[in-house]
Amino acid sequence: MSDIVSIIQRVLGDVDLVLGWTATGAGGVAAPARFQTAAEAERAVFNATCVHNLAVHLPRLKDQTVGIVAKGCDSRSVAQLIQEREIDRDRVKVIGVRGLGGSIDVRKIWRFHGYGVPVDARTDSLFIDGKEVDRQEFLRQKCLGCRDMDPVIYDELFEASGSSITGIADAATVETALSETGLGTSLTAAEAMSAAGEDESRPLGELFAKMNSAERRLFWREQYSRCIRCYACREACPMCFCRDVCIMQTTDPHWTGAGVDAGEAEMMQLIRVNHLAGRCTGCGECERACPVGIPLMLLMNKQNQVIEELFGYRAGTDLEARPPLLTFDIKGDSRSEK
Amino acid sequence: MRIGVFVCQCGTNIAGTVATDKVAEAALAMRDVLHAETLQYTCSDPGQRAIIDAVQKKGLTRVVIAACSPRMHETTFRRTIGQAGMNAYMMEMVNIREHCSWIHSDIDTATDKAIDLVQKGVARVRRQVPLYSTTVPVTRRVLVIGGGVAGIQAALDIADSGLPVTLVERGPTIGGNMARLDKTFPTLDCSSCILTPRMVEAKQHENISLMVNTEIEQVRGYIGNFEVDVRKKATCVIEDKCTGCMICQEKCPGKAPDEFNAGVGQSKAISIPFPQAVPLVAALRKEHCRRFIKGKCGVCKKVCPADAVDYEQEDEITTEMFGAVVVATGYELYDWREAYPDYGGGQYPDVVTSLQYERMLSASGPTAGHVQRPSDGAEPKQVVFVSCVGSRDESVGRPLCCSVGCMYIAKQAILTKEHIPDSQSYVFYIDIRATGKGYEEFTRRAQKEFGAIYLRGRVGKIYPSNGQLVVMGTDTLSGGPVEIEADLVVLATGFAAARGAGELARKLNISYDQYEFLSESHPKLRPVETTTGGIFLAGACQAPKDIPDSVAQAGAAAAKVIGLLSRGEIETSPMVAAVDQLRCIGCFKCRDVCSYNAIEALELRDGRQVAKVIDSLCQGCGVCNVACPPSVVSLKGYTDNQLIAETMELLR
Repeated sequence: MSDIVSIIQRVLGDVDLVLGWTATGAGGVAAPARFQTAAEAERAVFNATCVHNLAVHLPRLKDQTVGIVAKGCDSRSVAQLIQEREIDRDRVKVIGVRGLGGSIDVRKIWRFHGYGVPVDARTDSLFIDGKEVDRQEFLRQKCLGCRDMDPVIYDELFEASGSSITGIADAATVETALSETGLGTSLTAAEAMSAAGEDESRPLGELFAKMNSAERRLFWREQYSRCIRCYACREACPMCFCRDVCIMQTTDPHWTGAGVDAGEAEMMQLIRVNHLAGRCTGCGECERACPVGIPLMLLMNKQNQVIEELFGYRAGTDLEARPPLLTFDIKGDSRSEK
Repeated sequence: MRIGVFVCQCGTNIAGTVATDKVAEAALAMRDVLHAETLQYTCSDPGQRAIIDAVQKKGLTRVVIAACSPRMHETTFRRTIGQAGMNAYMMEMVNIREHCSWIHSDIDTATDKAIDLVQKGVARVRRQVPLYSTTVPVTRRVLVIGGGVAGIQAALDIADSGLPVTLVERGPTIGGNMARLDKTFPTLDCSSCILTPRMVEAKQHENISLMVNTEIEQVRGYIGNFEVDVRKKATCVIEDKCTGCMICQEKCPGKAPDEFNAGVGQSKAISIPFPQAVPLVAALRKEHCRRFIKGKCGVCKKVCPADAVDYEQEDEITTEMFGAVVVATGYELYDWREAYPDYGGGQYPDVVTSLQYERMLSASGPTAGHVQRPSDGAEPKQVVFVSCVGSRDESVGRPLCCSVGCMYIAKQAILTKEHIPDSQSYVFYIDIRATGKGYEEFTRRAQKEFGAIYLRGRVGKIYPSNGQLVVMGTDTLSGGPVEIEADLVVLATGFAAARGAGELARKLNISYDQYEFLSESHPKLRPVETTTGGIFLAGACQAPKDIPDSVAQAGAAAAKVIGLLSRGEIETSPMVAAVDQLRCIGCFKCRDVCSYNAIEALELRDGRQVAKVIDSLCQGCGVCNVACPPSVVSLKGYTDNQLIAETMELLR
């Protein structure tokens, strides 16, 4: 059984770079990193705080061959990107992670144990500041009831069983790593302070289901009124690859106004949801990235559910499938246009 | 910007419900509008002159016409403002008739709505830019698909005009279903006597190249320039060498079903369908040939005096360019067996289809015109015809009328009496539909002169009894059940689209209905056009129809083709999609959803791949606009900015 470092080093023989994690985040929490040499890959880790969906970087690395460490959920994004021909299957090597048992929401830990507290998050156990705690309590909301624990596609398989999972909790090591590489940290204090994130989305979902339409309107007004239009939701989404030409920023045509108010934010989010119809893999990065804690997945999950009911389609679960809303289906009953 | 608004009264059609003068008055207050007037009939000569006058006197740069649906008069008014010296597309029609006056009764609210609609039109036309159509050169060659009477007629008419035609038929001979008919109603002409001269003419015509045993593989391109791959199927016979002597057929030991004779009698593995086949060339069917099934035989090759048999022959695919296509794939009989278990579901040999009976009546048929029932070869004395099997029957999902059943039953009843003078025919019918010239008289003759007994009602059950068939039905006129002992039962089976019609339609990108009959562009005004430019329909592939209608439609399709190709080039609609290539992200979702193959990849100088619309192929349907994530594909004349402006105006 290989550890993550040697797998990445092996894959580096075939690709220009590998997207993975180092433990350079606050408290030893994993932060995304790119490895180009075997020496760099020495610092690679994989543990249950590797929450990010690294597939978001793939469309921007089209001119290189890329290896990517992907959890089950992340692998769906990779698959959907391949389905949409945004990336080339031959130019990406997927290091699939199996047996993770869900990833940890460090914001929950920080809320109760203080920002930057050392975390050692394994597949079967969780240590905060050296003490074992109930792992289940700190799982990400989306990992509870996950249908995609195992990767949809992979070229290499990393078994994230309890013993092989790599994590470091030694603050000194983190300091050294940080100073040596200067590789960015992804989790900021601001993020840590945002408490209204995904951990509350399920209770919200249940609450939301009970509201009538007037209450729902009021609810969304209130949510969208917090939007500061930072576009973090868009930037974190692997399927939002229009980048510079995104319709939320064009002034010709003027789809959304430039103002920061609930109405514009609502318009913006409704367009975003529509643009992801049949494409969203439900990775939840938009909601995780939102600095003001708007429960964005509430709408997205609803739509994904409808798409699954209508078309029997889940984005990024079948490389051969054609996304339903990107298909002109001529096998229907009738094409008569009389 | 100088906008003129013209509000049509359409007599009282609009003015009856909409205060048109108030609409014109309100229009004058709208942004950039400096002329507004009402006109009694805008489409009339004085109406059009008024527009031209206003444009020229006031120097208008854009025109809004509030009148009927653009489907009615958009072309008229484009020409009008073109005559006034403007770009024909700087005009917007606002529908205040179908969308307003006809559907409302209160004058005040209807007037308010009309004003809103005009406001919307003004907002939209303000963002209109001049559009110019382009022209594409055409290939002056025509493809006709299907060699039945419709295809032959279309090919001949087009070829006579001097255009080269390729007539493609998937079977071994042209002639289609008409070649299998004995006589034709209502004149009782011998079908092959009137058809075979046409078949020969098609073969001999210097402008027609005939391809039998050939199917359409793939179609690319667009009106004026279709690139078509055709597959010539291997028949193991070299067409140029075969003399049609039929010695191979005579000596062939391999039995095969006789498709030409609708399964009545048997044929050989290598055969010529009938003596007047065109071309008169044998074809070998591998699935029935001993050489291909068992690995040994070779009789045909040995006996062929022309050395025309080649077992190694393979399918050949060739590609040719055509400027226009006529689809004449015809029909086949509805397969009734599964849907009608009460009629024996095909188990009783003496229950036959109308086409099988036609072959039994025909002098060139397997029994040389002696009517013999299949079970024992006896001459039937009591013949029962059952109409509407697989047509006008909701219970089997076939509500359509086959349009010829009533007539051919009458014909077959007459022919039965002529063949067997002491016979008696019974006809179960729902209604007698005899609307053509001389048709009604013909059905009367069947009853009065030839003694056919017509019973109005459906047949419930057919079962065998003492070597005969008992037909149980109802006579709704006398109100009671009827039982008739029959020697032979003929089912007037309805029409189905030819096998594979839908598949072909998809290759051609044309529409079809739930029965796979191909759809015309407009049921009244464009009955031979399809929704795809340059592709026309002829004959029963479009809907069940009889020979005269098929021939007439074929002539109409030919006229359309000749008209189209008489010009050296074709003007394309400028209202097509356009890609903003600076902002295109090259995801090609537009290409995925385009059903006209109108989008291709273009590599820019910096190496970026972007989408490019092929103007002549684009039908302006707008699907690509919706699929484009950054919304950089727009439809000329319907840009996002125009639609947003319209919407904002309504929401104000």
